[in-house]
Amino acid sequence: MSESFEPNIVAFLCNWCSYAGADLAGTSRVKYASNVKVIRVMCTGRVNPLFVMNALQQGADGVLISGCHPGDCHYMEGNMYARRRFGLLKELMEFIGVDPRRIHMSWVSASEGGKWKEVVEKVVEDVSEVGPFEQFKRDKINW
Amino acid sequence: MVEQTTIRQKAKEIVAREDVRHLIGWRKGTFGYRVSPYWVETPEDAEELIFSPLCSPNLTNYLTLEEKLPLPKGEEPDRRKTALLVKGCDSRAAVQLLAEKGIEREQVVLVGLPCQGVIDQLKLEEKYPEGSSGVNAEWNGETIRFTFPDGEKEFAREEILADDCLSCRYPNPVLADEMLGEEVEAWSDGKNAGVEELEKASVADRWAFWEKEFSRCLRCYACRNVCTMCYCEDCILERLNPNWMFRSVNHSENTAFHIARAFHLVGRCVSCGECERVCPAGIPLGKLNQKLVKEVREQYGFEAGVDPESIPFQASYNPQDQEDFIL
Repeated sequence: MSESFEPNIVAFLCNWCSYAGADLAGTSRVKYASNVKVIRVMCTGRVNPLFVMNALQQGADGVLISGCHPGDCHYMEGNMYARRRFGLLKELMEFIGVDPRRIHMSWVSASEGGKWKEVVEKVVEDVSEVGPFEQFKRDKINW
Repeated sequence: MVEQTTIRQKAKEIVAREDVRHLIGWRKGTFGYRVSPYWVETPEDAEELIFSPLCSPNLTNYLTLEEKLPLPKGEEPDRRKTALLVKGCDSRAAVQLLAEKGIEREQVVLVGLPCQGVIDQLKLEEKYPEGSSGVNAEWNGETIRFTFPDGEKEFAREEILADDCLSCRYPNPVLADEMLGEEVEAWSDGKNAGVEELEKASVADRWAFWEKEFSRCLRCYACRNVCTMCYCEDCILERLNPNWMFRSVNHSENTAFHIARAFHLVGRCVSCGECERVCPAGIPLGKLNQKLVKEVREQYGFEAGVDPESIPFQASYNPQDQEDFIL
């Protein structure tokens, strides 16, 4: 492993809040770590736990799921279901031996460009601490 | 404790009813400790029914496994009911299926049997190697009495009961049309679910533990097939587009499969222990399920298979759900 490990983080952002929040951070020229690869989804309720698992299998070192604050969901309750789902997915992954610092969830609203920066920095810091996640990577199949 | 004769008598009455097609129960297997599921079609068949500590199969599975072939033109479908012998956990499985609208209440007749726990065959084999002929077993207070070819033997219950039975909180059926026998007292508060030891280990140790376990997985999917709650007609494991689960048997895919399997049972698992029992590689799948059952109960106050009117756990939410993990 090289000395400076740059974590590879996949972020699932909800279209209505977090994606707009990240957009605001961008347009306001807020500088934050560039390790995050953003995938826009319509709602955090849309994020299937398989997305998280597949991201980790395909080489992500950490995953971030971000959506609207409870009560602000564009679809009324999508983030509530997501909260239950990922709380337990995190527990299960932790039980199986995936470091809890690899999976994060956050609420970032459209006006919180500053918070988005903080969240990203926290996630990058956490994942850097745990290091690369080689054990779960999908083997490359050479046909 | 239910007398075998009571069960057979009740089964005869039920099968003789106009609106009942058949009754599914257990009968003595042809080999060792095994019992086989048994379809009682006529009152005479009922003579073979048994209920003993060996009757671990969860028969609720057959409600959704039944193949429904397209009917010839003009023929009416058979709408008669299916009767089932259910232990405590099996009745919870039926209740959970009802809550999920997987079956209809009118479709089933549940015959409830209070159960004092079923054995773990592997634990028993360690004590007494499996013989070739059918073995009889019965509950006898704190012990279970076996009749082997060379005489009787008794073993303490806590030594040979299946792990999920040791932490069972619902030995009595929660829902039944006909209750047989006397209710038994629950022996566990469900606190000691067998996962505490692993919970205390470090993350790296847990990964090492599960890596060793999952490396044995053959991906035969017996755990999914036997699970009462896995009744989707279109399973992600077989879906090719998008292909979420690769067929290759390696650590990454095995881990992903086991996470997905356990996660599909969040708030649905009724702890019948069937997955662990059928696993040919002896992977402690019950631990994964028990961990989630425990978290769901302690953190969200929800329990699967108790109320047929409840909304499934993952299809509902509480605005006060805990969110201390959220940034």
